[in-house]
Amino acid sequence: MYRIRFHGRGGQGMKTASRILGSAFFHAGFEVQDAPRYGAERSGAPIFAYVRAARAPIRERGIIPTPDLVVVADDSLVAMPAAGVLQGLAEHSVLLLDSAVPAEEWRRRLNVAGPLLVLQSGVDERAELRFLGATCAGAAAGLLGNVIGKADFEAALADELATLGEAVLAKNRALALDAYDRFAPQAGLVGEGAAVAANDYAPPEWVDLPLEPADAAAPAIHAAATSIEVPTGLWRVQRPVLDASRCKRCWWVCSEACPDSAIAVAADGLPAIDYDHCKGCLICVAQCPSHAIETVLEREAA
Amino acid sequence: MSEARLQRFQRLKDLPTEHLLASGTAMCAGCGGLQAFHQAYDILGANTVVVNAAGCMTLLAVYPFTPMAGSWLYTAMASAPAGAQGVRDALDLRLAKGDAGAREMEVVVLTGDGAAYGMGLSSTSAAIERGLDFLYFCYDNEGYGNTGQQASAATPHGARTATTPQGSSGTKKDLFAIWAAHQPAYVATVIGSEPLDLARKIEKAQCLKGPRLILALAPCPTGWGFDAADTSEIGRLAVRTGIWPLKEYVDGKVIHTKIPQPRLPVTEYLKKQTRFGHLFQPGGESTLAEIQAQVDAYWSAAAA
Amino acid sequence: MNRKLLTGNAAAAWGARLARVDYMPAFPITPQTEIVETLAAWCADGTLDGRLTVLESEHSMLTAAAAAAATGVRVFSATSSQGLLYGMEMIFGTPGWRAPFVLVNVSRGLQSPVTLEPDHNDVLAARDSGCLQFHCASCQEVVDAVLLAYRIAEDHRVRLPAIVNLDGFYLSFTREPVTLPTLEQADAFLPRYDAETTRFDAVAPVSQACAVLGGGPYSYFRYETHLAALAALEVFDAAADEFTAHCGRHYSAVEAYCMEDAEFAVCMIGSFATKAQEAVDRLREAGRRVGLVRPLLVRPFPAEALARLLCGRRAVAVIDQNLSFGKGGILAAEVASALYGRTGAPPLASYVGGLGGRDIRAEEFYAIADELEQAAASGATPPPRLLYSADELREMRKLQAIAHAQHREVQP
Repeated sequence: MYRIRFHGRGGQGMKTASRILGSAFFHAGFEVQDAPRYGAERSGAPIFAYVRAARAPIRERGIIPTPDLVVVADDSLVAMPAAGVLQGLAEHSVLLLDSAVPAEEWRRRLNVAGPLLVLQSGVDERAELRFLGATCAGAAAGLLGNVIGKADFEAALADELATLGEAVLAKNRALALDAYDRFAPQAGLVGEGAAVAANDYAPPEWVDLPLEPADAAAPAIHAAATSIEVPTGLWRVQRPVLDASRCKRCWWVCSEACPDSAIAVAADGLPAIDYDHCKGCLICVAQCPSHAIETVLEREAA
Repeated sequence: MSEARLQRFQRLKDLPTEHLLASGTAMCAGCGGLQAFHQAYDILGANTVVVNAAGCMTLLAVYPFTPMAGSWLYTAMASAPAGAQGVRDALDLRLAKGDAGAREMEVVVLTGDGAAYGMGLSSTSAAIERGLDFLYFCYDNEGYGNTGQQASAATPHGARTATTPQGSSGTKKDLFAIWAAHQPAYVATVIGSEPLDLARKIEKAQCLKGPRLILALAPCPTGWGFDAADTSEIGRLAVRTGIWPLKEYVDGKVIHTKIPQPRLPVTEYLKKQTRFGHLFQPGGESTLAEIQAQVDAYWSAAAA
Repeated sequence: MNRKLLTGNAAAAWGARLARVDYMPAFPITPQTEIVETLAAWCADGTLDGRLTVLESEHSMLTAAAAAAATGVRVFSATSSQGLLYGMEMIFGTPGWRAPFVLVNVSRGLQSPVTLEPDHNDVLAARDSGCLQFHCASCQEVVDAVLLAYRIAEDHRVRLPAIVNLDGFYLSFTREPVTLPTLEQADAFLPRYDAETTRFDAVAPVSQACAVLGGGPYSYFRYETHLAALAALEVFDAAADEFTAHCGRHYSAVEAYCMEDAEFAVCMIGSFATKAQEAVDRLREAGRRVGLVRPLLVRPFPAEALARLLCGRRAVAVIDQNLSFGKGGILAAEVASALYGRTGAPPLASYVGGLGGRDIRAEEFYAIADELEQAAASGATPPPRLLYSADELREMRKLQAIAHAQHREVQP
């Protein structure tokens, strides 16, 4: 069985990617299971989707603990433990990152045992994000070109993107097929992992829950403002940057407009942006009367 | 609907002398709600599905006895208008698909004030918003009558109930205004002691499409504390003192169909009911004055 | 035959479409909403010749559903979790009307705490309502079960509403290959709805859902509902055969997997049962004689079929994705009652797992199989267990540390 995970952010088309790849497997005669996993669908928040494909009916369900291929649409997720990108990578697992950083550098940074590849999609503008899913699916399908023929992949693109309209479909096709072709030479790199054997497994380490006091055992938060522990700044793909020379120290339009309380005004009258929590909505950029806040790509700012 | 039919009820002797709603029900002797509903049912006719919300009139149909000449469906306290939606939609579907058995029928919600003013208000509001073609009939006896007259959102200020032993401190919710704010096809208040007014309004409602709501004050000998023989008299006093304005909302306007002239003092109505008895003891004067002032203010505003 | 990738939600909508439902009262709730949206689109473009009405609550939605069924049309609706609970007065209130309709429930854990992910406490709260209950293990079963549910619910011996359950996320949002019956096959299996005398007609007045006075008539009507639910067992078998004749696939009220020579068995319902199937395959590879028993039908409860399958085994594990506080797993108690006093009744071990979408890993099925063998060898049934790991408890402690820390004093 092939077990494949796609990691990205809400809005980057990982559900679409999993559906295209699932559909391609299906056209290639496989049994398939594909699904997105998300809590609340928030643009920018990390999500993942997965595909299982096998020649026999699939009975495994849910998250894939040990993947054969992991595709990451956004390299900033790698450093985010909550995104779980590197979870369960085995020796045979292939890691494919969409990144401007070369593969050698990633291999140096990450201590992964299996093959690591980089897809330089060049997609980093918001307007382009709707093409990222198909591109990632194309790269994955190319890597599986030994079992997914190009015709199967093209049929899958037609199935899954039919509602997008001619122009968007055409661009998606072009990008996806380009990605397919680029990785097709490495077809066969992704192998089928084995299921956990029943006579050789790590025991589940069950524990008996003790009875605990009601105040600890109820979902009540006995503290204020603990949400600051959540680094929503990691959702951001673009960041607002203040040009202090143009800031008029107004009645703090940006600070009031920021829905996330991520802009405070310091004693000198200049706003300070809390990048740990700024989600990159860019309302402040749109609202600043003196155009003192500009948009910078996160990967360029970092 | 022709004008000719609208003029069917010119005089009291135009009212039906034989009645559609069968006798033999479990309602209390002298029930003002039943008095109003049986008058309305005569006009509505048997070609109806009455969708009932929990209340006194749940007990109209107790197996195997039903007073209905047409059809009836009991639902729950909160959702009779949703039941009416299901019946209406299903009848429409059957008619559209050429089901010969599905002749056009009027769907009627029958509810007490407990459901209408409280638990069922959400489903009523939603049915009006959806433009449901139905007629809604509320018998308002100003309390949870079926459980022994506890206070509801319809209980008038000062009235003693099983849960307000010292008199209700609340103010009766203005359900007519709440309904009218939804801009339905028709809203009217009625009372069984004014059968001609009631018949004309039911008939008018029948001529219209969409949500049509009828609010009937239902003098309740059991819950209000008066002799069963006095139901009509209490009703007449409710109108003549101005406590129960007879009015209708149609085409965005409210019209009073009967203006009491001159208005009797509210005490004429209140003193005949034990639920207000404590107001006539020392200390009750201020509440009586409040009630009179409210009624006066209402009619001043209505005249303006 | 039309084989395509469909989510469980899409499969549910297809079931309604193939059943040519007339009326669809609706209300959105995660993870069910996609069903309503799909049906709304089909009604809008004329694919489906029916009416979809969005109500303002599940209580109203279910009132409208039952009222429309009582008026004589074929009704479909869908909900989940808190929505099912909000409508629960009508879930219990309407089976006695004997006006059949089908409700899809997409399982989702109940509050508190609030969650979006699945377990079966929502649908099992409707266990005693008089609604039939079908529990699906795959997207294929969802579309098939909707058709079966109509056929059985509308049978003149039954005439009860039916709930078709599918697990949130694991089926609702998961695509699998689904073979759709053609409309002709569906039509041949499921005839147009015959309301019989359960309808409103101007020429034949009927007072429905009346009150009674006294326990005698009350007992009569209630027990008749019970007998009708029980009759659905027999009707199921006949309908399943008909379904096979028209659509090919075969279903049993209780699915038995690798049970012919099984010494040990796992019993569970819903989509996680396929994980158990996978584990059974691996255990068989390791030479272990383990099988799986999965009730597709939970109401009526197929007690005889379960007893036939489970008696004589050395030990049986029941895995419940639900929890009756102060009692334990609901299915475990149901299975125990089906086996009690029978010759060869096996020791029953009760496991609660998969609450709120918590995974049940292959290793846990293997460990359960090990415990069953130990139980059979020692003669001691293991105590009920929650599938919960030391890692999960450590993670919980971290969350509690945040929840109970005074991080930031808020000045008044």
